[in-house]
Amino acid sequence: MSTVLEPTAPSAGAGLQTLPQRIREHATRDPQRVCMREKRYGIWQDITWAEYQEHIELVGHALVSLGIEPGDRVAIHSENRPEWLFGDLGIVAVRAITVGLYPTNPPAEVRYLLQDSGARVLFAEDQEQVDKALDVEADCPSLEWIVYLEPRGVSDYDHPKLLSWDDVLARGREHREADPSLIERRAREAESGDIVTLVYTSGTTGPPKGAMLTNGNVDFATRVLVTEGGTYDPPPTSDDVLVSYLPLCHVAERAATTWTNAAGGVTVHFAESIETVTANLREVQPTLFFAVPRIWEKLYAGVHIKMNAASRFKKLVYGFAMKLADRIGEELVRNQGNHTPTTRLLYAIGYPLVFRALRDRIGLRKVRAASSGAAAISPEVLRFFFGIGVIIYEIYGMTENSAVATVNRPGRVKLGTVGEPHDGIDLQIDETTGEILTRHPGVFAGYWNKPDQTREVMDTDGWLHTGDVGVWVDGTHVKIVDRIKDIIITAGGKNISPSEIENSLKTSPFIKEAVVVGDGRAYLTALIGIELDTIGDWALSRRIPYTTYRDLSEKEEVLKLVQKVVHQTNERFARVENVRKFRMMPKELDHEDGELTATQKVKRSSLFDMFGDLVDDMYGNRTAFAGGDLTTVHTPEHSDGEMEGAA
Amino acid sequence: MTGQPSTTLAPKASRATRRGRPELYTDYRADQAIWNTPAKRFWTAALVLVGLYLPFTLSRDLTGLLTLVFIYAIGGIGLNLVTGYAGQVSLGHAFFLGLGAYTAAFLGGEPSGTVRGLELDLLIWLPMAGIVPAFVGLLVAPLAARVRGLYLAILTLGLVFMGEHLFKEARTFTGGPGVGRAPAEPVVFGYNLYARQTILGVELPRESVFYLFCFALMIGMAILARNLARSRWGRAFAAVRDRDIAAEVMGVPLLRTKTLAFVLSSFFAGIAGALLSVVIGRITPENWNLLLSIDFLAVILIGGIATISGSLIGAAFVVLLPRGVEWASGYVPFIGGAGGSGFISVFQLQGILFGALIVLFIVVEPRGLFGMWLRIRNYWKAWPFSY
Repeated sequence: MSTVLEPTAPSAGAGLQTLPQRIREHATRDPQRVCMREKRYGIWQDITWAEYQEHIELVGHALVSLGIEPGDRVAIHSENRPEWLFGDLGIVAVRAITVGLYPTNPPAEVRYLLQDSGARVLFAEDQEQVDKALDVEADCPSLEWIVYLEPRGVSDYDHPKLLSWDDVLARGREHREADPSLIERRAREAESGDIVTLVYTSGTTGPPKGAMLTNGNVDFATRVLVTEGGTYDPPPTSDDVLVSYLPLCHVAERAATTWTNAAGGVTVHFAESIETVTANLREVQPTLFFAVPRIWEKLYAGVHIKMNAASRFKKLVYGFAMKLADRIGEELVRNQGNHTPTTRLLYAIGYPLVFRALRDRIGLRKVRAASSGAAAISPEVLRFFFGIGVIIYEIYGMTENSAVATVNRPGRVKLGTVGEPHDGIDLQIDETTGEILTRHPGVFAGYWNKPDQTREVMDTDGWLHTGDVGVWVDGTHVKIVDRIKDIIITAGGKNISPSEIENSLKTSPFIKEAVVVGDGRAYLTALIGIELDTIGDWALSRRIPYTTYRDLSEKEEVLKLVQKVVHQTNERFARVENVRKFRMMPKELDHEDGELTATQKVKRSSLFDMFGDLVDDMYGNRTAFAGGDLTTVHTPEHSDGEMEGAA
Repeated sequence: MTGQPSTTLAPKASRATRRGRPELYTDYRADQAIWNTPAKRFWTAALVLVGLYLPFTLSRDLTGLLTLVFIYAIGGIGLNLVTGYAGQVSLGHAFFLGLGAYTAAFLGGEPSGTVRGLELDLLIWLPMAGIVPAFVGLLVAPLAARVRGLYLAILTLGLVFMGEHLFKEARTFTGGPGVGRAPAEPVVFGYNLYARQTILGVELPRESVFYLFCFALMIGMAILARNLARSRWGRAFAAVRDRDIAAEVMGVPLLRTKTLAFVLSSFFAGIAGALLSVVIGRITPENWNLLLSIDFLAVILIGGIATISGSLIGAAFVVLLPRGVEWASGYVPFIGGAGGSGFISVFQLQGILFGALIVLFIVVEPRGLFGMWLRIRNYWKAWPFSY
């Protein structure tokens, strides 16, 4: 903690409400009320506030009995489930620090995260995660216990560090008998400056860094985002329902699930798994919905695929309703998200025809507030959801400022911007670099064990340098241009934001990944990854046979399709920003293979290592790999040989 | 430790977090309920109300016809249990109907001449009309359980012929061929269910009174069957139907399951037979022949295999079709009346239509009318998608 810069004024130390305190309040007021549900064995099992509180206490006691002291790190490596929250809050209740791991983290990253954080106890969900931990356990001397939540397959393991969840609860009960006042004592000792969690940033450039968030940070963010209606306006109440499905180790989902539940009393539903999210959404029909653009795009693409397969009459009606939706969407966008008599009338026509049913099918019928964050979302997708009556408020924030920066407010939505700064925070845009700076009690306490890197992003006045380039729109709204380090400077000296072009390319339902290349080059090019679902569907309807992802990517028809998308994008940009050539990426990008971060962001550096020959192919004026330029397309010359070349 | 105090309290959730979420099941009871959605609850209640109102407005003739629909539905549900749910094709349904009818007539009918009758109360003869065929079903089941498919169909066909012979010869009970006997008197503690009565201040003809009785009985027996179908035994039926060897491997006792299906089916058939005899008025052994079995097969084929509501729809269709054709014949020129004028007579047309419909359903919609309803429902359920 000595490395930490002077924490920016915590929000009124006396009024501090830690998350465990908030849960305890609920548990005393409405012990029997359902606070979360988990789908298990085919039905949604209720969990009450009293049970939540009970588990928090037991985990807290158990951790202390395992030797965890205040300030020790405890890691959680699991999909979203009630035990994630039990563990997280139990850890915080005894003043230890929660470290969240992505379920998709491969063993090498697990090793790094466990080593870097120095976690002493690890909650591992199931055999898969336990195996990863056991693989790297020898390299992590500080790791003392591995607690598994699912006994299946693990109960036969014979390892001295393994403990089952039931063992932990039993230990907790025993310890509570011996020292019943422990939790209360720790709650009294809790301070605003206590670090409660390390949130590892995704690390598109270097290894992940653990951002330290304190009680004060979390409390401030909870107030701004939840109780003051920062994310969902009007603020969430106990009548609201939400589905938790994005990784909880990310600050956005932590805010959307744990904090929203603790402060708003919202009933959280845990999806069975990421594959069943669509089905679960339909059952739960949440009233609040936060999603990353990728999910919104998938919902949107899903509607398109299903409508393409619909019967003629249904298509006809849908087509008509979409005409209405387009008009509604445009009008709403023009009017900053406010309904006008025209939109209300059109909506009243479209609602019984299609909108109600459509929203029901995708699980958004009861959504009263929806938001999108963590990346840029394409305006086309926003317009579609606006049109069917789901107004999505884009929100901006990052781990280092506890997700508190800007939001689009109801009735003041500007498409293409991330909205206005939250009330009561300082936000400015650096005049020389264009970087967005924030300053408020939610700004983190620094990176874990990385004082140098902390100094890089935090200046002495308490301003956090977000690393995002932004501009003001109409003096009130902020528009994000790009990550500062991703800005491309062409050989001609022109500054270009690749993500704008990439997002425009990705607007097409056929394109999943697009990486624009051109730093120090004469012109821009792009690496394209197709969306297997939609292009597969498209190929099927045109009777184009294909075998693998790569085979499909390299079909001449597909290349022409991509070329068309590139043309459409180029029309929207200035000549220097035009993509002149493209090559197809021969595989789907994947977290396991190190091309994507855990949050599905492209790691540019490793991508250029891996697909360097594709880039050379373009700038060397060769045509060895499938791709094209603005006039022609070409399939690979001898695909067998290239397979090894690219691998 | 005295255990966790919190978990002993029942969890409660605010209405706002439950309302309008029909697929959010928080316990198995709701998930498996017969009326598991508000829409189903509403429509069932509405149909029951309409059913209760009809006898107060319809003509005696139509009321009688609808009573027949309910009786056919009870028999159809019985056949659906053994053939639809448990997959055991039975052509012997008519035999069990007859057995029920004669049991009822013997216990509840008047003696006349050589024909015997005990004039007991309905509360005795109606249950017995189910129990006696069920007992016979129990005797037959071990034989029937040994064979399946075509062989079972032939075996049960044998039952019909044996039964017809038996009914013709047992003159003291049945009155013999061509003569027949009077059915049981539907009297409960002196209150005649097949006579003019005053209900709720309205004087009703006997058809309406019996209608109400059959309606209530049909609902009761339909719920019974539906509950059975979603129980452990119902799942065992389906398992045996889908693959008997696999079912046995999973621990479903084949003999016991098939026997239960036969016994229950015979019970339902016996009840239906007893009620049918009351409506027919005078029953002869020729009533219970193969054609009646085929009628019931048509009920479940046209209505829908392995559905209770399908049995009711099928019964309505089979019973009301002849009347519909008769009614339509007045408007179509080439159909002659009963007299024989015109290109084709009403009766011929009824027979042809009946056969054609069975063929059509097997080819086009094997799930029957209920399957058509499912298709319509799914069309709107998936709206605006197609799947």
